[in-house]
Amino acid sequence: MPGTIRSVSLVSVVLLVCLSSRRTSVGAAPICTNGQVGCHVLSLDNLFDRVIQHSARMHGISSDLHSEFEQYFLPSKNQIGRVGRICHTSTIITPNGKENAQRMAREQLTEVILKLLIAWRDPLWHFHQSMAHHHDFNNFSSNKALEMNDMVHELRQGVEKVAEKMQVLGIISNSVTSLASPEVLLPSDSADWRLMKDYDLLYCFRRDSNKVQNYLKILKCRIVPDHGC
Amino acid sequence: MCQHQFYVAKPALKSSVTVCARMRRDLRGALLLLLTAAVQSSSMSAPGKPVLLSCRSPEKETFTCWWEPGSDGALPTTHHLYYERERLEGTYECPDYLSAGRNSCFFDKNHTSIWVDYYLTVMASNALGNATSDPFKMDVMEIVKPDAPGNVTLWVEEREASPCVHVRWMPPSNTDTKSGWVTIKYELRVKKDNSNNWKEYTSGTQTHFSLYSVSPGGVYTVQVRCLLDHGSWSEWSNTTFVKISNYLQNERPLSMLISILSAILFIMAGLILIAKRKSVKQWVLPPVPGPKIRGINSQLLQSGGSDNVGNALIIKQSFPPIYFVWEDQMEDYLIVTENEDWLSSNSQKRKKSLIPACFHFDSEIHSKESPCHQNDWEKDEEMSQVDNNNKPFTNTGYVDFQRHVENVQEADVKHVDYSRVKEVKGDNVLFLEKEKVQSSGYMDFQRQERIPEDYSRVKEVESDHLVVLQKQNAADMSCKDEGNHYTDCALHKPRKPHVCTELSDSGYVDTIPAPPLM
Repeated sequence: MPGTIRSVSLVSVVLLVCLSSRRTSVGAAPICTNGQVGCHVLSLDNLFDRVIQHSARMHGISSDLHSEFEQYFLPSKNQIGRVGRICHTSTIITPNGKENAQRMAREQLTEVILKLLIAWRDPLWHFHQSMAHHHDFNNFSSNKALEMNDMVHELRQGVEKVAEKMQVLGIISNSVTSLASPEVLLPSDSADWRLMKDYDLLYCFRRDSNKVQNYLKILKCRIVPDHGC
Repeated sequence: MCQHQFYVAKPALKSSVTVCARMRRDLRGALLLLLTAAVQSSSMSAPGKPVLLSCRSPEKETFTCWWEPGSDGALPTTHHLYYERERLEGTYECPDYLSAGRNSCFFDKNHTSIWVDYYLTVMASNALGNATSDPFKMDVMEIVKPDAPGNVTLWVEEREASPCVHVRWMPPSNTDTKSGWVTIKYELRVKKDNSNNWKEYTSGTQTHFSLYSVSPGGVYTVQVRCLLDHGSWSEWSNTTFVKISNYLQNERPLSMLISILSAILFIMAGLILIAKRKSVKQWVLPPVPGPKIRGINSQLLQSGGSDNVGNALIIKQSFPPIYFVWEDQMEDYLIVTENEDWLSSNSQKRKKSLIPACFHFDSEIHSKESPCHQNDWEKDEEMSQVDNNNKPFTNTGYVDFQRHVENVQEADVKHVDYSRVKEVKGDNVLFLEKEKVQSSGYMDFQRQERIPEDYSRVKEVESDHLVVLQKQNAADMSCKDEGNHYTDCALHKPRKPHVCTELSDSGYVDTIPAPPLM
C-alpha cells in the first residue's frame, strides 16, 4: 500500500509540474529575440510598453528619494552655484526638447538611452552601498536605493532587447554600437562621479531618468504609433 | 510789502525798489526749497527689490515666469529679466515681456530647454537707481502644470433600472499628446445638488468617464483636471451640471397608493382576527376533550348547587325515580280514625294481609293503590293489588290527625299533638287512645322533622274563603293537592265525591284561626 501511495504522489507531482510549466511558458516565457522555437514572442508594442512602464517607475522612485534628501540636506537657494552642478553624464549629448528629440534618428535616440543607462550602473551601486552604511537613513530609503539600482539594470536589459527587436524587424540599422561593446560608451572625460555628493547624484539621476522615459515614449510613438501616444 | 515801503520810503524811492526785488528772489528761493522738500517727502528713490514669484510650463515646451515688483520709488520704473542657463554661456534677457501679461516673461520653444537649469533674476530700474531680485533657479521639468481640460460635456443615459451619466472632455488645447512627449492623466470630481462633498474619480488617460451611482431627480456637477507626467495637477475645469429627470415620480403615487391599500387591508384583517379571536383560537387550538367518567356528569358537578350534585350523578334514567319522589314526599299522612264501625266493616277484607303498624298513607303520587285505602272504599277492587305496595316505616311520613275544629284552638301549633296508638287492627287501622299526648312521645317515622302544625281535613269548600273542615269522621277523606303533586281524588274516593281544591301554596291549610304562637 505505501508503495502505491508513493507512486501516485509522484505521478501527481509530475503532472503538477508539467501543468505549471505549461502555464509559466504561456505567462512568463523568455522573450525570443532570434525567433527561437518554444518561447513566447512578444510584440514590439508590448516590449515598448513594458520598458516605458519600467522607466516611469524608476523615475518615480528617484523623485521620492530626491525629495527625501531635500528635507535632510536642503541647500539654501543662496548657495546655488551659478553654473550649478555638473552631472557626470553631461558629456552625453542629449536632446533637450521635443523637437530635438523628434529630429534625432532612431538609432541615435536608442543609443542615447542606452548610454545613459549604462553610465548610471556603477554610481547607483555605490550610492546604495553608502546609504546602507549610513545609519542616518531609514530602511525605507535604503530599500529604494537598492530598488533603483536593480531597476537600472533591468531597464537596460529591456532596452537592449527592444533594440535587438527593432534591428531584427529592420526598423533600425545595425549601427547601434552600444550593444556590441558597452565599455566604449563610457565617456573618458566625464567628471568622476565619485566626487559628487549624494544629493547631487540624486538630482542628476532624477533628471536622467526623466530623459530616458521621455525618449522611450517618443521612440515608441514614432515606431509603433497607437492610441497610447 | 512794497506798497508799505512806498508810504514810508517816500523820500528814499530808490531803496524801496531794490528791497522788492530782493524779496522776490527770496520768495523764489523759498518756493524752490519748498518744492524740493515736497519732493523729498514723497520719497522718490531707487526702486524696491522685485521678487520672482513662480514659473510655469503648460505643456513642457514653453514656460512663463512672473515677478512681483517692489516699490517703484515714485518714478517710472522698468523691469528686466535676465537669465543664465546651464550649458550655455552668457546672460540673456527675456525674449518676450508681453505675451503673458504684466510683470511676466514668456519663453517660447526656441528659448526653452528641458533638463537644464535656468537662473533668473529681475532687475527694476528707475531714474534713481536699480534693484535686483534674488536669483531663481528652475528646471522646466519641475514646473509643468497643464491647463484645465476643456469642452467638458455631460449627457444622461436614461435606463429603466438606473440612469447613468456619461462625461466627455477634451485635453487642453496646447498639449501634444500625439507624439508621446507627455502623458496626460485625468481626474474628475462629482458633486450632487448643492452639497459640498465632492467625489473624485481617476480616469487614467481616457477622455471619457461614466457615472453609475446617480439617482433621478438630482443635479450633478462635474469638474475635470489633468496632469502631465510627474508634474502638478491643473486647475479644475469649469463646472458643468446636468439634471436627471425624475421619471420615477409618476410611479411613486401608484406605489404609494398600493402600499396604503395593503396597509389598510392588513389592519382590517388584524381587527377581524382580534374580534373573532375566540373562534380563531378554537379553530387553531381545538379544546382537548377531558376524561369522562361513567355515571358522573362533570359539568353539573362543576356548576355546583346541592340540587345539581344529585342530578349530576345521574346519567341514565334507570334509577328509580321513586327514591327521589320519596325524598320529596312529605305529605304522606295517616288517616287515623276512632270509628270502630268503619273499621269493622272493612276488617274482613283486611285480615289476610298482615302489615304491622300499617299506616294509612295517602301519598299523592303513586299510592293510588295504597293498601291502607282499601278500607275506605268498599268497592274499590284495585286496592287488593296494593298489598305489595306497603310502605316501610323507614319512609318519611307523619301521622296526620283528623281533628275536630274545636280542638284547633286549644292546640298548640308548635307542639306536636299525637295520640297514642291503642290498638292496631288489621292492616291499616289503628286505634288511638282518646287521650292526647302532648309532646311526650310521638311516633316519628320521619327522618326529618316537620313543622308541627295541626291540620284538619277539609270537608268542603263552599266559597272562595270558606272551607268546611271535616269533623272527626274517619270515613271522610280529603285529598290535598300540592303544588307539585297531583292526586287523583276520584280514584280514591269513588263513594263520596269531594271537592278537591287546589291549594296553590304549600298545600297545608292552617287552622282558622291560627293559634297564637307561644
